[in-house]
Amino acid sequence: MVKDVKVDPMNTTFAKVMEVMTYLGLIMMIVPGTLYLITKNGLVSTKVAVKYWDKPAKVFWVTTKGIKIGGYSWFLSNLHYMDCLSVVGIVLLALAPLVAIIAAITKADSKYRILLAVLIVEFTIAIVRPLFMHVTGH
Amino acid sequence: MGWWFWPLCLFILTLAIGIIAPIAGVGGGVLFVPLTTAFFPFHVDFIRGAGLIMALTSALSSAPQFVKKGLANLKILAPVVVVSIITSILGAVIGLWITNAFPQGKYYIKITLGIVLFIVFIVMLTSKRVEFPEVKKIDGLSAKLNIQGAWYEPSLDKIVEYRTTNMPIALPAFAAVGFIAGMFGLGAGWANVPVLNLIMGAPIKVATSTSMLIITVNDAAAAWVYLANGAVLPIIVIPSVVGITIGARIGARLAVKARPRIVRYIVLGVMLLAAVLDIYKGLAGLGVVPKMF
Repeated sequence: MVKDVKVDPMNTTFAKVMEVMTYLGLIMMIVPGTLYLITKNGLVSTKVAVKYWDKPAKVFWVTTKGIKIGGYSWFLSNLHYMDCLSVVGIVLLALAPLVAIIAAITKADSKYRILLAVLIVEFTIAIVRPLFMHVTGH
Repeated sequence: MGWWFWPLCLFILTLAIGIIAPIAGVGGGVLFVPLTTAFFPFHVDFIRGAGLIMALTSALSSAPQFVKKGLANLKILAPVVVVSIITSILGAVIGLWITNAFPQGKYYIKITLGIVLFIVFIVMLTSKRVEFPEVKKIDGLSAKLNIQGAWYEPSLDKIVEYRTTNMPIALPAFAAVGFIAGMFGLGAGWANVPVLNLIMGAPIKVATSTSMLIITVNDAAAAWVYLANGAVLPIIVIPSVVGITIGARIGARLAVKARPRIVRYIVLGVMLLAAVLDIYKGLAGLGVVPKMF
């Protein structure tokens, strides 16, 4: 019995790219994250984090660092800290489906090319929207 | 108490969830969010952020393998997530807005989470699973998109081909599921699977695998909202992701030997307890009922 199923190239390309991005993201998240917990080299020290982690995210950042969060600069401009570097790993994981879709679009037929293009636009809006709109309520 | 106490407890909890979830046939997020909300000191913003990243990581780890085997299908995913990606972002935005705009917002979230958990409990208790549903008539949209696939089924020793249907009915359902996933940081496999299996007619293995794929896209889109609001704290996320990853590997091996029905009932019992506690804590926070603990 033939056990190999012919999966179309759109799906296989998507899977391969998603797999690579996931590995990269996991390594980038867990290695610096573990170093942060061990060495305590973080933008927010573990002791301070523990003290204020019962506050809403917005209050947490104002109290601990005196910053108003409304975008990605809080970790992108502090990459020398291990906790912020670990967040870059999370960014890679959150980018994995988008990158996989961009790769798959080249192998898709015309109907799916349109659908995947819509998805890319939606994803891009999801990423850039916080840079233009601050929506946490105040 | 050292700073490490709660992260260590979190690691132990997620390790246990990781072991139990595959045996009980549930996703980790649906246990993680309500239990940490009920028993841990973290604010719900950080719990939902961690829950979302945890569900995303778990789904990303397994989805590519399912796609390569033909079990998860981009042809089902694409039309579905065009709708649900918008609602999952909307859910995340509204969820964070409620906790920040209203002084008692976190209590509203706790009460709503408890109610959602009751719904999950009922869905999991009553929904049936059809291994190979018969698709008699294909709707126009599914036909135009030529949604079909095949995988090798070892229990039958043959390649099983399938088609799906009822896309116009499934789309609003996925929109609602996306909203709940974004708002509470849940994976929402508990809702995706019945829609794919019972409404769209996808075989159960295809439904569970494609659900993982849907979770990757919905949760990744919603994750940006949490990242942009600083609601992702590595001190909470790292122990959770490491715990669930190790636990899931142990759980997958134990699932072969374990008695799933008993474990499933235990998990459903824990879920019910967490639902009651979340609603109680929310009502106690609002001063509707007296605080007992």
